[in-house]
Amino acid sequence: MRRFFLHRLLLFLPTLLGAVTLVFALIHVVPGDPVEAMLGETASNADKETLRRELGLDQPLSRQYLHFLAGLAQGDLGRSLYRQSAVMELISKRLPATLELSLAALGVAIALAFVLGIAAAARRDSWVDRLSLLFSMLGLAMPNFWLGPLLMIVFSIELGWLPVSGRGGPAHLVLPALTLGMAMAAILTRMVRSGLLETIHEDYIRTARAKGLSERSVWLKHALRNSLLSVITVIGLQFGSLLAGSIITESIFSWPGLGRLTIEAIQTRDYPLVQGCVLAIAVSYLLVNLMTDFLYRLVDPRIRYER
Amino acid sequence: MLVIALESGPTRLDPRYATDATSARISALIFNSLARPDENLRLQPELAQTWQALDDRTYIVRVKQGAAFHDGRPLTAADVKYTYDSVLKPDSRSPKRGALRFLEAVDWLGPYELRFRLSGPFAPFLESLTLGIVPEGARSDDASGEQRLIGSGPFSLAEYLPGEKVVLKSNPAYWEGPSRLAGVTFKVIPDAVVRALEFKKGTIDLIQNDLEPDMVPWLRSHTDAAIEIREGDIFQYVGINLEHPILKRREVREALAYAIDRGAIIRHLLKGLAIPATGLLAPGHWAYEGSVPQRAYRPDEAKRLLDRAGFADPDGEGPLPRFKLSYKTTNIDLRKRIAEALKEQLSRVGIDLEVRTYEWGTFYGDVKQGNFQLYSLEWVGVVDPDIYYNLFHSSSIPPNGNNRGRYRNTEIDKLLEQARRNSALDERKRLYGKIQQLLATDLPYIPMWWKKNVVVRKPEVRGFALYPDGDFGSLKQVFLADRPTP
Repeated sequence: MRRFFLHRLLLFLPTLLGAVTLVFALIHVVPGDPVEAMLGETASNADKETLRRELGLDQPLSRQYLHFLAGLAQGDLGRSLYRQSAVMELISKRLPATLELSLAALGVAIALAFVLGIAAAARRDSWVDRLSLLFSMLGLAMPNFWLGPLLMIVFSIELGWLPVSGRGGPAHLVLPALTLGMAMAAILTRMVRSGLLETIHEDYIRTARAKGLSERSVWLKHALRNSLLSVITVIGLQFGSLLAGSIITESIFSWPGLGRLTIEAIQTRDYPLVQGCVLAIAVSYLLVNLMTDFLYRLVDPRIRYER
Repeated sequence: MLVIALESGPTRLDPRYATDATSARISALIFNSLARPDENLRLQPELAQTWQALDDRTYIVRVKQGAAFHDGRPLTAADVKYTYDSVLKPDSRSPKRGALRFLEAVDWLGPYELRFRLSGPFAPFLESLTLGIVPEGARSDDASGEQRLIGSGPFSLAEYLPGEKVVLKSNPAYWEGPSRLAGVTFKVIPDAVVRALEFKKGTIDLIQNDLEPDMVPWLRSHTDAAIEIREGDIFQYVGINLEHPILKRREVREALAYAIDRGAIIRHLLKGLAIPATGLLAPGHWAYEGSVPQRAYRPDEAKRLLDRAGFADPDGEGPLPRFKLSYKTTNIDLRKRIAEALKEQLSRVGIDLEVRTYEWGTFYGDVKQGNFQLYSLEWVGVVDPDIYYNLFHSSSIPPNGNNRGRYRNTEIDKLLEQARRNSALDERKRLYGKIQQLLATDLPYIPMWWKKNVVVRKPEVRGFALYPDGDFGSLKQVFLADRPTP
């Protein structure tokens, strides 16, 4: 197992490097000049050139890239071109909000998926099953930019239970987490249901029943645990979608997270900040996937990681 | 505390760096300037007692006594000189340095007197007096500085969370008398629907302009909002690449102008919140010229002009176009719908318009590089008509200015140079009138509309005045009345 994790950690670095390199290349290829945005269009060419030189933007891309990597190796992501702050500082202010939202959405998705998925499998072809199918279809069909305002109208305006937008106490988290987690909940519900229905006919389940275990114990302890592997895989993969989806959800709910910071950075061609934001998202994603691998082992101790 | 919703937050509040509209508007509440445009965009003295031209390149400005910064320090000529010097110094990185290029030096003549020396005659000089004044020694190059800005305006900065909110509190010792509000919170809510819902919920007191046109009738019928609409000066236009082989023909540009049904777009997509424009300057501007060639919707005339230009329709009313053009715009919903309407309207005269939408940074980058055939943008907050120099003088072709369509007209160049040198207002008005007539004939831009300003406020918010450029200057007079009982 140790070898496996070492192996995964070694893969971690090239994956990160790939993500950062891709973003570095893309952000420099698309039109837009940060120097002109900083100095305004009335600035003289000499002033623009001076600033370009000061920021190192006159250097060949390869040299800028190496310079960026050298900084990265020392944990220095550079300074934002507009915000007069270190990129690391800006990200550290916004990342907690995004992680809070993404983890809450993950929690919502898992809770909904397990309740509905187990109920649907246990009552196969009943109205509960059909309701869960309807939920899954709706969850996948409704885009965040439509679902978010819809939830706001119902729970904030008509019922007056929750705030419309912004970040504050737990009440502020409910609607954005529900919006962001809905699609994932829809996928996981189907996964939990089908996983349970596959395992429930296995021999060991029949044995468990023959031993006189209660149905509750059979379903939750034996069947569910064995159907979890595929669900955990999807959770790990879908967490990336949550981080990406948070960009839209954060805009809808005025949530001051990394997603909105990324958009603002892209719009102003704030190269160091874009790179930093993408790096933060990539690291979060890779860490969750690493944790997923670890969870496999917890769920199914038979799994061996040695080659 | 008054809460105002904004679509986007300010990027910098230091007046030496605040250039985007939101930053400039909020910064102007924290900082005073020597002069400020009034509701009719005429410059009025603010910190300046008087200004006087000694000759066409020397101005004496006397600063009012009694103004003070939020920390109690009196505001003097030394602060004014420091502010301008800190913008003009070569390493300032201020985006306003380019616009002050004509300024040779600011000389301190006494505690309340300054001399502005220009490198040459420059009639729009007075607009440069709108720069917010910072205290002597105020640094600008550190992030924490943005959180501790000290100005002399009616409000002081209490909290600034970039991308989230700006909280201002009333300056009780404001030299013109304190505001009747305890303070103002600007809350950033990027989504248009959510801004309207927050207003409906009662958590927002006022929204100015940051509303989709569709939302205004909804707010009128679903809330008790007081809604005011007034003519504005935000100018929407279609920019044209004049180096394009088809678009460089004037008949084609005229045909495009005749083929666009502005009235229909304004009625259906903008819900009446705009009026068809004749040019960049709106009717409320002192230099506005109304008697210019105008092109109402006449598709038959458009077809005739295209035929005359040699672009006959190959199959009459059939599907084949006369030619194809591309139109670039941003991926904002309303912009995309306007683009689709234009595509449909131009197809009626046989022009195939390919709509290309981009995120803002890419779109604007392309426009600045001249990488377009047609695009649409707007000009906000035009104070001095010298902006025409920047937009249409042949020396202003990027990277030296904003003549993005590469327009070249020697007559316009001469008139713009004369107007820039001439400081007599009547003569400037005459010259700019002529310029407006020539541009309306030549059509380097196709004027679309001037957006109306809309303010949606709770009924108890009183005293708010709509400025044509969407300025928040009237907030210092705003107060919250007792809510009427039903």
